[in-house]
Order: sequence, then structure tokens, then C-alpha cells
Amino acid sequence: MLECRNCGAGAPVDEHFCPQCSRILALGRHGDYFTFLGLPRKLLIHPQDLERRFRELSRKFHPDYFYNATSAERLASLERSSYLNDAYRVLKNPVSRIEHLLAIEGLPSARTEEPSTGSGPGAGKVPPSLLEEVFALNEELDEIRELREADEESEKLLARLANARKPIDAKRDEHERQLQELSARWDRELARSEVEAEHPPAPEKGAILEALRERLLERNYINNLLATIEREASELQGRGTSREASVSPKP
Amino acid sequence: MSKVVGIDLGTTNSLVAYVDNGRPIVMRDDDGDALVPSVVSVGEDDTIYVGREGQRRLLTEPARSVYSVKRFMGRGIEDVEHDAALLPFRVSGDPGGVVRIGIADREFTPPEISAFILRELKHRAEEHFRERGEFDFEVDRAVITVPAYFNDAQRTATRDAGRLAGLEVLRIINEPTAASLAYGLDKRNRGTIAVYDLGGGTFDISILKVEDGIFQVLSTNGDTHLGGDDIDRLLVEQVLAEIAGPKEQDAATVEAIRRAVIQAKWDLSDIDETEIRIEASPAARTGYRRPITRAQFEALIRPLVDRTQEPCRQALADAGLQPSDIDEVVLVGGSTRIPLVRRVVEDLFGRKPHSELNPDEVVALGAAVQADILVSGRREMLLLDVTPLSLGIETMGGVVSKIILRNSTIPASGREMFTTGVDNQTGVDIHVLQGERELAADCRSLSHLHLGGIPPMPAGLPRIEVRFQIDANGILSVAARELRTGIEQTIEVKPSYGLTDEEVERMLIESFEHAEADFEARLLIDARNEAESVIHATEKVLRRPDFAALAAEQLELGERERIDAVLVELKAVITGPDRAVIQEKTHALNHATQHLAEVTMNRTVREALAGRNVKDV
Repeated sequence: MLECRNCGAGAPVDEHFCPQCSRILALGRHGDYFTFLGLPRKLLIHPQDLERRFRELSRKFHPDYFYNATSAERLASLERSSYLNDAYRVLKNPVSRIEHLLAIEGLPSARTEEPSTGSGPGAGKVPPSLLEEVFALNEELDEIRELREADEESEKLLARLANARKPIDAKRDEHERQLQELSARWDRELARSEVEAEHPPAPEKGAILEALRERLLERNYINNLLATIEREASELQGRGTSREASVSPKP
Repeated sequence: MSKVVGIDLGTTNSLVAYVDNGRPIVMRDDDGDALVPSVVSVGEDDTIYVGREGQRRLLTEPARSVYSVKRFMGRGIEDVEHDAALLPFRVSGDPGGVVRIGIADREFTPPEISAFILRELKHRAEEHFRERGEFDFEVDRAVITVPAYFNDAQRTATRDAGRLAGLEVLRIINEPTAASLAYGLDKRNRGTIAVYDLGGGTFDISILKVEDGIFQVLSTNGDTHLGGDDIDRLLVEQVLAEIAGPKEQDAATVEAIRRAVIQAKWDLSDIDETEIRIEASPAARTGYRRPITRAQFEALIRPLVDRTQEPCRQALADAGLQPSDIDEVVLVGGSTRIPLVRRVVEDLFGRKPHSELNPDEVVALGAAVQADILVSGRREMLLLDVTPLSLGIETMGGVVSKIILRNSTIPASGREMFTTGVDNQTGVDIHVLQGERELAADCRSLSHLHLGGIPPMPAGLPRIEVRFQIDANGILSVAARELRTGIEQTIEVKPSYGLTDEEVERMLIESFEHAEADFEARLLIDARNEAESVIHATEKVLRRPDFAALAAEQLELGERERIDAVLVELKAVITGPDRAVIQEKTHALNHATQHLAEVTMNRTVREALAGRNVKDV
């Protein structure tokens, strides 16, 4: 329950405005983006519907419209607008939407370490389903790097790199399909459990969530691999120019 | 009820506008001029001159005059050294601190200089309302625009300037977004629009989606150091290289050259060939003439104009769009009058850009509309803008951990958990940065925060949640709480390139102390402006092609000579410090030209009616 700071009336967590005095309510500490936007926890969302809700709520919450309001209402407007913007951004993107669903369903985060240190594929173990591809790619990358050091022609190496990339790209496409499929299955289960009002939730739902999480972990890993390939490619492309620069005399 | 206005605080010119009966209008001076040159000049007696008067003094007192101060807002000395080389005023400051602008023995920060410009605009608006017979003509609240790509420090500096000028800054909004608001007003405009804004000192590109009165920015990009100033600078350097040895490069010569190249630049927007012409004068000892063609000009500035392309591509990519997805392209900023700029934009987006509204005025109009939305609570229109740069904090090894990503719709918030590294540690230091690069050293330092009052606990046990909030102005605030105890943490903010609250307070007090001198200065400037417009009106009549005929028929013997004599007298005193004398001579000129004005008016009316018979009248 939320308590209205204006009139003291109680309001359900999902309410944005006090049912008693219709003032904007302070944002409760927890909630989820789906209910905030008035949506069921479905993964296949109609983009236009999401956008329409975002616009409607923006028109209700935006700080522009609370300029003359009390400081409590101004703060509530700022908090609700910020939360709405976060919610919209996260739900608009299918992958962050799944991540959010996993989080509110109580699963551990599917985020691996960011590859921000630039030291190759992110930390964490290689997902078993990718072992073969990763092994082959690493071998190929090592060889390309060695040849680069030995001044092999850039074009040749770039072509090899493009070849090495193909199986990874294929894996990623396959993953996109699997995510799509699992999302549709989740939505079906959700609809069914609503109709049948099952308690406790079907074990099937837990299995789908676990599968989604697995796919996301793999997907992150694949993205890191692709980033590594791209770094190597730009290294190869930038080679010609940097060499020229280094021989020109300093002014 | 006091008044609210919208202000475009530009690098070269500034404007003020307001909404009258639902329609935004820019406020003009008696000559119909809406632009107030963003030039501030400080007299020997500490009198402050702003606008046209400041611009005049740039030629006579270059070392006491400041222009393009917007480029220094929220910046450090290391950012502006390149600019400072050719500027007539002194620029200093400690590395990693606020830039200081030195004039004689006084020092100003950029927000203080900007505040002088804002005060001039406030005054202009108040005069306007007073003349309309408004009872409460005080202007104490404003929406001020900034380049979309301005970072937190630059926005905060702009807000500080507003405060120093005695304005409550209702909102800081982005220039391209403001422009789109002005464009969206009278039209059934909907769809995806790109606003290309190349002004005096900054470049912005914003991609917006407009639907049901909601102006939603999808992405923005730009360069806060690219504009007409850079074009002028290229030309000035070219001329300097051709004519003068190093000893001729004094401030007055550079200023004379700058004026000449700006005129040539303007000419080349309309004609294919012109001259850079500097008259021989005390400032520039030898006159100088150099023909320049549009082709030469374009070859010279091409690299600068091309620098706007990458930000456009990046903005499109961030919005997930192709150039063909853009329904309309809107041009904003004086530099978009340059034909080459228009061609580049047209090629980039594959369509002819719009320029129906005056590119100098459209931003101020939009600011006025936003001001009206805020005070009226009208909900037909809503701006949803984004933050142009990612916000992050420095973590281990000097790497930046991003908390709010660029192009996030604002207001936006983000959280980050911190803990302690040593037992019983009661404080934590956090370095806040803005930018897209991976390393802290490559991003813009915003501030150093010190969290204090953490309850003593073993290392790693406290769980401190730091909440970063970017408000609708794009300005950051920070709050922190230790979650185990629920204790709110104290936060000390040391801005890297901004003023602390105490400094702003002190400046406010100082500005009150100067208020009386400023008031005198204001009266003097008003007297000069009045004199200017009488001179202007008189000379206009004297230059009429039919003046000789008119004089022969209708002027008394010696009347022309009397007018000329008073004209010369007034011109002799107009730049002087004595307000009473200027007013006296202005009055004398008014008096001497009264008869002339009457006969001219009659003649004009007669001509207008000539050939029509009485029934039509």
C-alpha cells in the first residue's frame, strides 16, 4: 500500500494518483515496469501499444505540469516521470524486457561482466553449448594476430576474420529465434495460468524462465565474441594509416 | 502577475520572446531589431555596456570587451586555450578549474558575463511590457535555451547566470528542441523531424518524433565547439597571414579584420563574389581589399562544415533510423544561411531542408512557448527531451561505469551501490563523469562527491545506495543512503568546472553592490540608443533620392544647414559619458527636424494617394 502524502488515504501500489484526493502519489520503493504501465507480464508486446501508454502517462506525470504544485507533488512527478522513462526504455527493447522479467520473477541476473577492460571475451565460464565455436575462434584469432605481427597483408587476414565470424553469426541468429520462441511460450503459459488460476504457478513457467536466462547468458557471450572480432578487424584496418604516420618526420 | 519570458542566450546574439494570446513574439528595440549582440564591455568607471553598445566598443576598447563568452561556460582553461589566442580579452584560470576573464584589474567568471547579457534582455522585456501599459511589468522568471550537446557543467553555468541576473530559471531547454516547438505550432506537423542547428559557436543535431502534440527527442548529438565563430576565425587567420607581420596583430586590428570577414561571409550567402574590405583607420593603419569568391570561401570552410556530418550519422544510428526515415529537416542558427551548409544537409538527408522561420529567432520563440506551458499548465504540447551524454562514475583502474546512458529520456535516474574498503570507514569519495569513452581520463569530469556519515562497520558491510537524478533541465543531483541503517548520507559536491553555491551567493551580493552604477549605465545607454535612432531617422530622410527636390520646394533657407550642424554636434557627444548632454542634443535634433519630418510625411502621403481620385480614399 501507498499512503497519500496529501490526504493520508491509502492507495494500491499500482495507482499513480490518490483515489481520494486525486493528487499524484509518491513512488513506492518497489514495483515492476509491467504493472507500472498497466501491462501483463507478457514478453511479446505491441510496440504501438507500449508507446501509447508511455505518452499517456507522460502527459500525466511530467514535471512541466507540476510547476505550481507543492514540493511533495513536484518530487512525486519527478520520480514517476523518471521511473516511467526507465520502464519504457527497458520494455521497448526485447532483450532488456526479458532481463527485467527474470529479475522480477526472482532469477539471478543474466548479465556477465562488461567487456570494458578490452581484454577479450568477458569473464565467466564458456557456456557448454558454445565450447566448440569458441575453441575454433580463439585458435583462428591467435593465428591472425601472429600473422599480423609478422606483417602479413591486411586484406588476406580480414578475409580470414570474416570467415571465422560466420559460425558465430549463425549461432546468434539461432539464439534470436530461440528467444522469440521461448517468449511466445511464456506468453501462452501466462495466459493459460490466468484462465486456470493455478496455484502454485506451473512448473513449466519456471523451466521457461530458466531457459530464457540460459539463452541470455549465451547471447552476452556471443556478443562479446563478436566485439573481439570487430576489435581485431579495426586493428587490421587501422594498420596502414598508423604505419605511415609513424615514418613521417616530426615537425 | 509578473511576467515570464523565453531567452535564447546565444554565442553571437541573444533574444527574448514571450507568448501573447497564445502566440510567441520576439521583443524588438525601437529600430525593430530583435538581436542583442552577446557582447559585454566594461568601462573605465566599471560601467557595463551590453549589446550594440558593447559591440561598438569592441573596436575602440577591445581589451575591455568580451564576446562569445558562451564558449567558456562550464569549461576549464585547458579547453579554451586555442580560442583565447585570438581574443582581445585576457583569459586565465587554474588547470581543472573555472575559466576567468580578466578586464583591466577586474576578473569575471563566464556566468557573470552571461548574467550581464541576461540582465539586458530582462530590461528589454520589462521596457516592452511597461510600454504596453502593463501594471506589473517585472520579468523575474525565464526559460533559457542551451545547445542540446551542452554537458552538466555548461547547463549549470547557464542556470547560475540566470540566478545572477535576478531570474528564476524555470527550465533549461535544448535549442533544437525549442526550435521544433516553434515549428510545430501552427502546423499539422507530425512525423520524424531532424533539427540541424549550426549557430555562432555550437552545432547540434536532434532527431524528434512529433505526434499528438508530444515532441519526443529520439537522439541528439553535436559539437559544442563548432560554429560561425570558427568560420570567422579561419578567414581572419587567412587575412592575417596575408597582410600583417606579428606586430600588427594587435587586438584592434584583429577586431577590424573580424568585422570585415564577417561582412564578406554574409555577402557570399547571396552573391558569388565579394571583397574583404578594411578601411584605413587608426585601428588598421593600412586599408586592405581582397576579392573572394564563393568557391574559394567554400573550399576554405568545407572541412568545418564536414565536421557536422558524423554527429548527424551518429544521431540517426542512435535513433535506429535511416536518412530516408526523416520526414522533415529544419534549419536553425545563423550559419545555416551559408549555401554550402544547406547543400551538405540536403545531401545528408536526401531532402530540401525547411527554413520558413527566421533561423535566428526560432529558438527564442520556442523558449517562450515552453515558458508559457510551464506557467499556464496547458497540456496540448509536451517536450520529452534526452540527456546528450552518458553519466558515469570512476571505478577501479580509472574505468568509467555508466549509470545513465546517453539519449535516455529525461527526467532519468540511476542507482549504484557502494561499500567501504577499510573497517570503520565513515566516508567514500566518488568521481562523477560525463561522456562516452571507457576511461575516466577521456570523459568530462563533472564533480567529486564525498559521502560522509557512514556508520562505522567492518569493511564491505555498509551498503550505500547512491541515486543519480537528471531532472528535466538535464542537470544532475545526487542523493545517498546507507541501506542497513537507513541513514541518509551527507554529500559534499565539488564541481570540477562550475561554481559552488557559496560562490554564486557571493556574486549575487556583489551584483547588488554594483546595482546603482549599473542603473546609471543603463540610463546612459538608453540615452545613446535614443540618440542613435533619431540620427538614423534623420539621415534616412536626407538620403532620400527626392530630397533635393523636396528641399528646394519646401525647406526654409538655412534649414538644411541647421540640421547638419546639430547632427554633427550630437554625433560628437554620443559616445561620451555625459547623459544630460546627449539628451540635450538629441532633443535639439528632434526640434531642428520637426518641420522636415512634417513636410516629408505630407509628401509621402501625397505620393501614395497620387493617381487615385478622392472617392477611393
